[in-house]
Amino acid sequence: MLRIVNRVVVGVIGLVLLVLGLGALVGGFDLPYRWGFSMPSWWPWRVGGDAVLSEQDRTRWTGEGWWWPVVFAVLALLVVLSLWWLLAQLRQHRLKEVLVETPGAEGETGPAAERSAALLRGRALERVLAADAEELPGVDRARAVLLGKRRRPRVRVGLTLAAHAEPGPEMVRLRTGALTRARTSAGLEELPAEVRLRSSKHRAERVS
Amino acid sequence: MSDEHVTLEKAYPPAGGLEQSASSAVYDPEAPARRGGRFWSARRVPAAVLALLVLAASGLLLYDVAAVHARQQAMSWRRSLAEELASSRVDSVPVLAGASFAALLGVVLIVMALTPGLRTVLSMRRESPEVRAGLERSAAELVLRDRAMDVSGVQSVRVLVGRGKVRARAEAHFRDLDLVRADVDAALDEGIRQLGLDRPLSLSVHVRRPAKR
Repeated sequence: MLRIVNRVVVGVIGLVLLVLGLGALVGGFDLPYRWGFSMPSWWPWRVGGDAVLSEQDRTRWTGEGWWWPVVFAVLALLVVLSLWWLLAQLRQHRLKEVLVETPGAEGETGPAAERSAALLRGRALERVLAADAEELPGVDRARAVLLGKRRRPRVRVGLTLAAHAEPGPEMVRLRTGALTRARTSAGLEELPAEVRLRSSKHRAERVS
Repeated sequence: MSDEHVTLEKAYPPAGGLEQSASSAVYDPEAPARRGGRFWSARRVPAAVLALLVLAASGLLLYDVAAVHARQQAMSWRRSLAEELASSRVDSVPVLAGASFAALLGVVLIVMALTPGLRTVLSMRRESPEVRAGLERSAAELVLRDRAMDVSGVQSVRVLVGRGKVRARAEAHFRDLDLVRADVDAALDEGIRQLGLDRPLSLSVHVRRPAKR
């Protein structure tokens, strides 16, 4: 979600900069005159002698009644949105708890289903999963972070491989071992996982 | 071919061919391997920088516009900026330079928005639909280096893992270079398969004698 928002906004800002830059370059090099085409009449930069932002352009609407309210609204909106956008980059939506539904809850609705469900602390599940992954022979350190919704959690796992690890088989063992155990112990139908494998720097040495 | 420098290059057949069936003992044969796809960066850093710039600019402008409406003086930077913009021509050098910079920055931002990034992460084969895994290229380099070091005769080895290709340069201080090269090649061949990557990497191995001192 954040990824899509970021990419759309970054792309739109890039597009605006590109259009403004190219527009100023086209006017600055007198390309409409040299290449025999004409820019629309409202375009500010039509010949090289045009000002970047003339007094007349800047104050064109200042006399109108709607101008200042619109300026204030747009600026205030920009401040709020950019503040929200900035804060969204800094925080991570870590899941605090996972809803564990006991078998009796199946088929029931209403308060009964609510009563037979339990809350599992996210940190506890993360810690168990990480400790379980660290048991693997090729894994030095492991870190797990729960994300998503209480009913549909997903997990991001970071593994630091030990020397002489085999990443492919290690992943199979993680998937069939720690990840499956975490999923079944929390009573989840599925636990989507994103795993990143790193390696700690170590010296080249022989195993004899 | 010179006896002191041996080179071999080969490409691996795509997954699903013979090499795949050889490793089916390790991997679950019932789950068909799916293409994992690239990892896409969230582009947090460029987003944070842009957000900070927009926030600073719009906040400052909002404050100053509000101050003017409260019958105070506009800050001097705004008046000098307005004069500057009104007096400079579009064909002056600073404006053209600024416009070029803006256009270039725009292209960079558009490329950032459209490309996946995270070029240091290699996607691993996706054996189950709910688990996605990526291997850092530096980790793949260390794993392969450890394997090449186990070949007898290899004194030192440098492994570079690109996005599609593995290059290994080894120095062998004993044994025939061709034999060492064949062994390093076999070891890395097996090593690449054990990486469990989505797309097979091609391999080139160079073996030579260490420089005489």
